[in-house]
Amino acid sequence: MISLRSIVSTIACVSASTCLAQVPDFETDVRPIIEKHCAKCHGPEKQKSKVRLDTLSTDLISDRPAAETWHDALNAINLGEMPPEDEPELSSEDRKILTTWIRGTLKSAIAAQKSTGGEVIMRRLNRMEYQNTMTDLLGIKADYGKNLPPDTPSEDGFKNNGAALSMSPLQLEYYLASAREGLSRAIVSGPPPEKIKITTTESTKKSNRENSTNRLGYSGSFVGKFLEFPDEGAFIIRVKARAELVEGKAFPRLKATFGYRADTQTPSAELGEIDIISSEATTYEFRGRMEQFPVQSRTQSKYPGQLVMLENAFDDGIKRKDKRTIEKEVEVKNKKGKVQIKKQKQTEWIEHDDVPKIVIDSVEFEGPIYKSWPPEHHTRIFLPSANRENGELIYAQEIVGNFMTRAYRRPVEKTEVQSMLRLYTKIRPTSATFEDAIRDTLALVLVSPDFLYLVEPETGDGKAKTALTDHELASRLSYFLWSTMPDAALFEAASNGELRAPKKLATQIDRMLAHEKSWQFVEQFTNQWLDLASVDRVAVNPDYYADWDDIIKPSMQAETRHFFAEILRHDLSALNFIDSDFAMLNEPMARHYGIKNGPRGNAFERVTLPADSPRGGLMTQASVLLGNSTGEDSHPILRAVWIRERLLNDPPAPPPPNVPPLESEDPNFAKLSVRKQLEIHRNDPACDDCHRGIDPWGIALENFNAIGNWRTEIRRKNGKKFITQPAEAQTELPGGHTIDGVADLQDFLKEHRKDQFARAIVARLTGYALGRNLEFTDESELDALTEQFSEADYQLRPLIYGIANSDLFQTK
Amino acid sequence: MSNKPWHLNRRTFLRSTAGVSLSLPFLECMGAGEIAKNGPKRMCAVYFPYGASLPKNDSPDANWSWMPNGEGRDFTFNNSLKSLEPFQNDLTVFKGLSHPNGRKMGGHDTADIWLTGAQFKGGNFRNSTSIDQLAAQHFGETTRYSSLTMSTDGGVGEPTRSSTLSFGRNGQPVPAHNRPRLIFDRFFGINADSMKSQRQELKTSGSMLDLLLDHSKSVRKNLGHQDQQKFDEYLESVRSIEKRVDRSQRWLDIPKPEVDASKLHLDSDESTPAEYIRTMYDLIFLAFQTDSTRVATYQLGNMNGATSVAGQFPQLLGFGNKIHSLAHGWNKTGGAEKLGKWDQYLAEQLAHFLTRLKETPEADGSMLDSTIVLYGSSNSNTHNNNDYPLLLAGGSKLGLNHGQFLKFSKDTPLTNLHVTMLNRLGVPTEGFVDSTGELAEIVA
Repeated sequence: MISLRSIVSTIACVSASTCLAQVPDFETDVRPIIEKHCAKCHGPEKQKSKVRLDTLSTDLISDRPAAETWHDALNAINLGEMPPEDEPELSSEDRKILTTWIRGTLKSAIAAQKSTGGEVIMRRLNRMEYQNTMTDLLGIKADYGKNLPPDTPSEDGFKNNGAALSMSPLQLEYYLASAREGLSRAIVSGPPPEKIKITTTESTKKSNRENSTNRLGYSGSFVGKFLEFPDEGAFIIRVKARAELVEGKAFPRLKATFGYRADTQTPSAELGEIDIISSEATTYEFRGRMEQFPVQSRTQSKYPGQLVMLENAFDDGIKRKDKRTIEKEVEVKNKKGKVQIKKQKQTEWIEHDDVPKIVIDSVEFEGPIYKSWPPEHHTRIFLPSANRENGELIYAQEIVGNFMTRAYRRPVEKTEVQSMLRLYTKIRPTSATFEDAIRDTLALVLVSPDFLYLVEPETGDGKAKTALTDHELASRLSYFLWSTMPDAALFEAASNGELRAPKKLATQIDRMLAHEKSWQFVEQFTNQWLDLASVDRVAVNPDYYADWDDIIKPSMQAETRHFFAEILRHDLSALNFIDSDFAMLNEPMARHYGIKNGPRGNAFERVTLPADSPRGGLMTQASVLLGNSTGEDSHPILRAVWIRERLLNDPPAPPPPNVPPLESEDPNFAKLSVRKQLEIHRNDPACDDCHRGIDPWGIALENFNAIGNWRTEIRRKNGKKFITQPAEAQTELPGGHTIDGVADLQDFLKEHRKDQFARAIVARLTGYALGRNLEFTDESELDALTEQFSEADYQLRPLIYGIANSDLFQTK
Repeated sequence: MSNKPWHLNRRTFLRSTAGVSLSLPFLECMGAGEIAKNGPKRMCAVYFPYGASLPKNDSPDANWSWMPNGEGRDFTFNNSLKSLEPFQNDLTVFKGLSHPNGRKMGGHDTADIWLTGAQFKGGNFRNSTSIDQLAAQHFGETTRYSSLTMSTDGGVGEPTRSSTLSFGRNGQPVPAHNRPRLIFDRFFGINADSMKSQRQELKTSGSMLDLLLDHSKSVRKNLGHQDQQKFDEYLESVRSIEKRVDRSQRWLDIPKPEVDASKLHLDSDESTPAEYIRTMYDLIFLAFQTDSTRVATYQLGNMNGATSVAGQFPQLLGFGNKIHSLAHGWNKTGGAEKLGKWDQYLAEQLAHFLTRLKETPEADGSMLDSTIVLYGSSNSNTHNNNDYPLLLAGGSKLGLNHGQFLKFSKDTPLTNLHVTMLNRLGVPTEGFVDSTGELAEIVA
């Protein structure tokens, strides 16, 4: 058994490689304080409230009641309830030792209780993995996970943590429904459906309130109507359009939405957006499947026909008027037939010369599109096989076995196939067709644990860790780098035992990272590591930011993903996350940052930053800055916690219960700068313990407002009026290092916290790769990986090789 | 007879049930004659995070206190609950109640135990069954669905940051629905398939789940100890939907109630809070009115300050800040009013719901008379786990004595209220977690 002491000190290191927060020793450091301050009432003589501290067990792992009592004591100290008023106060130093010891020891006791001994808890596919896997398995892109309840993230924010992901009846019910729906779509019957191809050149107009037109500017929409349309299957919409560009302005952007159902008023769904960059008429394609869009009812619809709506999504942040009312004289016949001139109000749509336009020449609908019939997604289930002639049961066996192999991501035993075929045999007599019986049998495969979980059965005696099988390794790799099942090539490599040799494994990893599916890794990992969803949780107050438009939020998140992708794919140093001389921007983001001559379109491009730009690195990106703001102003504490948690893997302790609000007797408190307010806050020793290690990290970013724009002044509402204060970003970091602003902070991190940062990335990436919490037993391997990482100039690719080759990854 | 669109057409109803012996759903909605004297007993619990504005009586902002003035039967509402005045005799407001087990938990940790009262700290986060699920188990087969669990954040969240108020038999969280469209489809959506194919599908599902259970047990054998524990969630789920399929088969012949969806904002979400909150309440109302279930919970927002999508509701509605920040600022200058206005808004939504219940006749009274609605939080004000703002409305026919503002000391655990509720609902309960008895004051 490992002693508590060693667990305590090592666990402190899991979160902070530099071991800043060493847990004090009980006998030498803590006991004297207890004897001095607590023992009078909670010692040998008296045990007020039945609490005795001097003999209370310090083994919080096995003594649960003792842990509870220490926890209560911590709260009482934090709240200033203990020591009581008539007793001498704890000195700041003593309080810190005492609370640090209790907190640290409790934390490690909790960690020990949660420990899985470094084993990955059987992982259920999360919503995104399920979505991707169903898509790849069935060969049809659809929204398979739409009804599933949201997944629970781990403490680190990862959504692929086996221990955190749960299963419930509701969840399983939706898996079953989704499996049936997906299979019904994949399995077709009957003769090939007739293909429909229609072209329209004129926009449908439903009312005068719409600006229905072929020339899309600041306002205006083109509504194409197709009276014939299929109910299901893939389709292509081809828009022939040209741009009327405006010098110095972004490209116009064609936004297409498709489908509208009048009887249920189901709104249309987005089909896509494309920049229109050429003044020459060019054909642009949008692809989708009918099932993903509302399909107009054919029987009772007032407005028959399937609709496609086209608009110009150009946005340069300038708000314009789109229409005005004019009076026009018109000739009207009265009842007696006499012609009178009357004035009539009419809407006139305003054309803005400084807005680039899109001119629609024609819109074509084509669908359903099948390259062959039956389509590939059908024949991959109903294989062309000699067994077709050998009776249904034998053919069924082949079909089910083949499907199971892909669904379970491993070769299957004959007995396993037999067990699924029991359903087939049972329902075949009452099923209308062979296909129906197969569909239900395959649905059973898709709700089996072997499909829904990454099952890694125990092979040894259950004590020592054992090596993964080749196919288990392929699955881990695939869910790590693709968030989906292995493809045929990876499966084959596993079957041939080619994943064990580091060189061959590296070849696979290179292939996987080059594949478009690796975007799923970029997206999932970046979202979760950096908590990009925080952007969606902040509402920006328009009183503070008059020009704000929520439409930019997705671009902010995308910037950060593209930034990660650029560093990964071009083998740049991960230190660029701290500070970089480039940014990944599209037109809206370049405009948001005030960067001139940037991209003109919505695609992200690498932009070399001007020397005087404050941008560069994650901390200067609007996603991070806005996500950790109040929507009105910066939130230095949230930003600080974000840095410590996400970049340094050293999250501060959570706030104690019953936190007193940030308040002061000073009537001018509200007018003080945030920095000053926080200083006052830290005058309270109970707050200062933690906050002096938190606040400075965020104060360094005070030159960025809530939406991530640079500022030298802070605007704040005081009553109904705005007041301004200088933005103050000078601060003292823990350890006494004085800095002023983000550039200093970046320099400090690169110079003094490089190792901690590297170690943090290693830990985060490894935790994500494994799908479990890291534990103290992982320390030495993480150390080794960090060392390799720094030797490889902090490139992510070699780190991924290292993780995939590690025992952590390759054993269960 | 009412011509409300969600009322069942009696003819279709009788035709489809002819010759089938079933425990029928409550018939009031069809205006049928043989109605049980007292309507079905129902309960609903609605939770808001981070407590409420509670300025002291002598503060200049005292009129923004969530708590009323006065005591006993002689009390008046402050601004926050003003909209509940029409219901003054249909409700009781409580001061001083809380879960003793919650008092030792972190300020953000207590939403999990609001309806369970569980001991829930240290590393071992195992919850126990919530009162709504006890009621749901008791009412069991009488309705198409045993309960409706909803929250703005959806799913189960994580321990101490729960996104659901409901916990099943072993303290397993019940995932909350958060999309109105999905809830509507589940409860009222019409299945376009023929009855025959639906029956066939359910029958197949039954066979499937049988085999799945067999198969899963053999999978379990090969798992390590820790995986086995995790896997039991799966096994439990298979067993549970087996029962549900069974239940669906018995309900198949009874058509789902027809409900008019045109006034519901089924596509509202967290970006349109006004429509969203209204729709969630409306869905509970419709589920009750059609007797599709008798138990519902709705968590307006969880206490995961950083990740709750409900956090920005007040910002979007013009109340100036996130819920968490409003709650933190309650004792800053002007803060009590700011938070109070948010409290007021939420109370207005509750009032809308209560109005619908009260205006819908049932038996010889209204739906409200046999529906117990618990409304409140598990903080008093920010992060303080004592003295929850709580009120109980409806259920006068179930033996509740309302029209009071009751103050309790710390010695009375909140579970006494839970026990009182359960007994009035006809779920015989002697004790629940740390309860010490009933709240005699509200028992008629």
